[in-house]
Amino acid sequence: MPSRSLSHQVAVVGVGTTRYGKLPDHDAYDLGVWALDEALADAGLTHRDIDGLIVNRIADYQRFGEITGIDPAFVTITPGQGRFSGICIEMACAVIAAGMARTVALVYGNDGRSAGDRYGGASDLYGSGGAGLWFPYGMTSPGAFHALMAQRHMALYGTTADQLGEIAVTFRRHAALNPGAVMRAPFSLADYHASRLICAPLHLLDYCLINDGGVAMILTAAERARDLKAPPVTIAGFGQATALAGSSFPPEDFWRAPMQQVAADVRAMSGLSQADMDALMIYDNFTPTVLFALEGFGFCPVGESGRFVSDGRLRLGGALPTNTSGGHLSESYMQGWALNVEAVRQLRGSCGARQVRGARHVQYLAAAPVVTSIVYAGAA
Amino acid sequence: MTARYTKPLPRLDDANRPFWDGARRGALVLQRCLDCGTHRFPAARACVRCHGARSEWVATSGRGTVESFCVFHKAYFPGFEAELPYNVAVIALAEGVKLFSNLVGIANDAIAIGMAVEAVFEPATETVTLVKFKPVTT
Repeated sequence: MPSRSLSHQVAVVGVGTTRYGKLPDHDAYDLGVWALDEALADAGLTHRDIDGLIVNRIADYQRFGEITGIDPAFVTITPGQGRFSGICIEMACAVIAAGMARTVALVYGNDGRSAGDRYGGASDLYGSGGAGLWFPYGMTSPGAFHALMAQRHMALYGTTADQLGEIAVTFRRHAALNPGAVMRAPFSLADYHASRLICAPLHLLDYCLINDGGVAMILTAAERARDLKAPPVTIAGFGQATALAGSSFPPEDFWRAPMQQVAADVRAMSGLSQADMDALMIYDNFTPTVLFALEGFGFCPVGESGRFVSDGRLRLGGALPTNTSGGHLSESYMQGWALNVEAVRQLRGSCGARQVRGARHVQYLAAAPVVTSIVYAGAA
Repeated sequence: MTARYTKPLPRLDDANRPFWDGARRGALVLQRCLDCGTHRFPAARACVRCHGARSEWVATSGRGTVESFCVFHKAYFPGFEAELPYNVAVIALAEGVKLFSNLVGIANDAIAIGMAVEAVFEPATETVTLVKFKPVTT
């Protein structure tokens, strides 16, 4: 696990987001440049201050450095899978702690909507690369993978479609308060049930929204952050664990084992427990993933997540406001990045109508074959 | 069989050929580690359990249970359009290997997790037979 001595040693000093939606005039590089410019302005820094660069989903780090004029002391590039947002942020902490860079820019650019990316069908690579083996049976898409998990959760624990629907309804209500969200019109549980089935038990409204957009974050040592423009938000704890063996198939434990490991590591590093969290940002590629994360990270007992969410607990004003931006389901599928930015904005108190009053700790959770979690802390 | 087959077909690579050859003669054949006896599919050079490199292909019981299932209402492949809604199940074989496949001989709304199933062999083309599953009738 990451050393406890790293707690609060790294701060997020700049966040930047583009518009989300259909942006055919911008490729992934353009979106990354746009987001980086926003993040630098937010931090009061310039390109010359960046000596670490981590790019995600953008095809080529060299080209990105060329068009932005950045010659970082540390650079890397990561694949366009959502689990990599958490991995990249954690890596940036390690790079800063190791002294390999002082100020790291993390840049994400996604032109998937305009480029016509498909999550299912012949180009589907979800899983461990062997997807084509199962195409003859019609098995494809991350949606189907999560539908299989949801079906099993329903059979084992009595989880219902209403409970999944509550998650979708809640995040849309939050998106209605977020001017940057792509889908803002509220819908009812009845609308949820009436939305077409894509891969039963999942409906259209259980799926995230494929869009174009870019997100950037700038991280630096917490001691340096005090001199910068933005209210400092520090990283109190983080952790990572994996379940790669056998991962062509849905995990029988809904990724509980790696999540329990990460939850324990984050708790040990941060000294903070579930009860200290004022809001959660949960990787919501599909509604059931939210349930798996709540159970795996110990916010509710195993099997109880459906009932846990069903009384409005995740809503703004509820006990555990979650995905206050609307998340992937209603703001835009920015593969974890925008959720991490939302955590920072909540802790700065800059979320306007969707602000969680007095938020001091916000935790990002991602349930996937690579589990990550990050606890952000605002100024007390 | 003479109609043009429009669904995706498996790539008949050398590594997995024993599986597809087995299916054509009505057997569910898996790779098995000669060192520790662990079954595996698809083919791999070494055993994920003991890392032993020696293996053989063996016929198996063809029996398993439904670990989970889903029902596609969207055709990601044109060839499946006419069959919507169609099921896909995760089959946990008695030998410990998992497969994605289709359940046949049962209505989608009658499928239940934990159901005992056995392999059936469904010719797709002259060279490819798919391994599907049907409920075990006792």
